[in-house]
Amino acid sequence: MSVEVRARGLVKSYRDGERVVEVLRGVDLDVAPGELVAIEGPSGSGKSTLLHLVGGLDSPDRGELAVGGRALAGLDAEELARYRCQTVGFVFQFYQLLADFTAAENVLMPARIARLPLASWRRRAGELLAAVGLADRATHFPGQLSGGEQQRVALCRALLLEPSLLLADEPTGNLDPASGEQVFALLLELARAHGTTSLLVTHNPGMARRCARVLRLQNGALHELSR
Amino acid sequence: MRPLPLAWQLAPRFARSTRRDAATSFLSAVAAGGIALGVAALVLALAALSGLQQALRAEILARTPQLEIELPPGADAGRLATELAAVDGVEFVQRFARARGWLLAAGVAREVEVVAFSERLPRSFPDAELVAGVEGVVVGDDLAARLGVRPGDWVELVGARPTLTPVGPQPRMRSLAVAGLFKSGRTERGDRVALPLDLAAGLLPAGAPQLEIATGGLDTALAVAGRLRALLPPGSVVRTWQDLNRPLFFALHLERAVMFAAVSLIVVVAALVLVADLALLQSSRWRELGALAAMGAAPRELGRLFTLLGLIVGGGGALAGGLLGVVVARLLDRWHLVKLPAQVYFLDYLPFAVEWLELGTVLGVALLLTFLCSRWGTRRLAEMRPVEAVRR
Ligand SMILES: Nc1ncnc2c1ncn2[C@@H]1O[C@H](COP(=O)(O)OP(=O)(O)OP(=O)(O)O)[C@@H](O)[C@H]1O
Ligand SMILES: [Mg+2]
Repeated sequence: MSVEVRARGLVKSYRDGERVVEVLRGVDLDVAPGELVAIEGPSGSGKSTLLHLVGGLDSPDRGELAVGGRALAGLDAEELARYRCQTVGFVFQFYQLLADFTAAENVLMPARIARLPLASWRRRAGELLAAVGLADRATHFPGQLSGGEQQRVALCRALLLEPSLLLADEPTGNLDPASGEQVFALLLELARAHGTTSLLVTHNPGMARRCARVLRLQNGALHELSR
Repeated sequence: MRPLPLAWQLAPRFARSTRRDAATSFLSAVAAGGIALGVAALVLALAALSGLQQALRAEILARTPQLEIELPPGADAGRLATELAAVDGVEFVQRFARARGWLLAAGVAREVEVVAFSERLPRSFPDAELVAGVEGVVVGDDLAARLGVRPGDWVELVGARPTLTPVGPQPRMRSLAVAGLFKSGRTERGDRVALPLDLAAGLLPAGAPQLEIATGGLDTALAVAGRLRALLPPGSVVRTWQDLNRPLFFALHLERAVMFAAVSLIVVVAALVLVADLALLQSSRWRELGALAAMGAAPRELGRLFTLLGLIVGGGGALAGGLLGVVVARLLDRWHLVKLPAQVYFLDYLPFAVEWLELGTVLGVALLLTFLCSRWGTRRLAEMRPVEAVRR
């Protein structure tokens, strides 16, 4: 089940007292179903902001945004929650693992939220952790994991339910080149296997090169990088 | 089988992990402890009231006729008594008259209530020990002790019906043997004596004839009262044991209600601590809640998670308190641990009786309060924007 992402003229600004920060000033975005797209841009350019909009965590001030042909603006809170639960897998820039749950339980969390039978998904969670080299960390709590390990757990969590749309905010930002390569390979493999539409924020030129397209966010607008 | 809703899956873990945080675990302990204490106090207080009231009721009802009928003047009490004896549920009917009088012994006069009865001593004179073959007046053991008379002794009974003599009205007086003693109990308001109607003839004022009726039990008496009313001549008054003790029962009821309201306040205060506890818990978990929301947990589900947390803390406290209250009440009652001065009360210890319906009400109220406070404590969750929680 692949979905397409289509955005037209997305505008998002933050008001902080008198100051208004215009982060996105009309972003157009088209991602074909199953396509893997990298987004790069300087710090503070609004990459996370854009991903949050596409992931239904926030709403744009203006502009249209549709995922799989469905406009997100028309959804109420419950429907948005269902969209995030059933369609999106999100790797947050700061992981956001739940401190009271082990690595394996954190990976399992989307299945809990979707109220799926846990037994089979528990096995899948173990497989994913093993694939990113964390088989022996499954029962550790986030507080006992390094930043890079937490990041990999967060990726496994986003991939667990084989989402139609994967939004990953610097999924390898904290990893050494070798681990980064391993994780990226897994991501690539799963995305291909399930036709996952993927939007990847990355500063890694090697990784970006292996994506179908690379977009650059600068001055509030997206530009296609010619290669 | 579909797994439990998210809230049910996560609440136990969240509840367990709150113990790691000093501030929330302190507040949780205070809230749960306060609710437990309040519920235990409520259970104990009500059990003490129930125990006392049951004993008091038994004590007072043993000295109260089950049914009393006041017939209109001129009614044929004898004929009515035979008629009423045939009514379904009626076990015994006897005529009686009641008047004020004085008992004289060894130069001391005591004002008494004189009850003159037909056939046998009414059951409102309990535990009577009668001397075989002696006809006379039955006196309360307490009064007998004060006057220094014993069964078989002679006393004078002065009636309220005067005789007109040339020197003015003179009281009528009769010498009677003390035929026996009954247990007067400490709840009686005045002294009573009883004697057969034929011995009282001419001594008491010719008042309206009355009937006392005994039935199988207190509830039967209430049912029978309704049936009797249809058979009685107009102008008759039927009084049940309830009517005869109405002010007492009302006072007991009121006492219980006031006690319930007052002790409930402990639970209310503890439930408010629970609100603070949940608020603190939310702040400390704000980012994790945001992450859950960002992963697709519905806002309503997160609200439910915290309501459940509140119920775990508060409900746990309520159940523990209920158990504590019941156990302590049982112990106090079993071993008569709370003593009462026997000279003052009719009992020498405070009995505790846990009424299950009442226990259920107490727990229900505590749980409802906990639930409402938990709901109120989670209202902030509704306005949570996941993006703010997720962005560092
Ligand atoms: N809630 C907010 N209030 C005010 N300003 C905000 C808010 N959220 C984001 N911003 C601003 O919006 C801009 C874009 O933020 P964003 O996190 O999207 O950048 P980014 O491209 O992801 O940066 P990085 O590469 O450092 O993660 C930043 O300048 C930030 O200060
Ligand atoms: Mg960012």
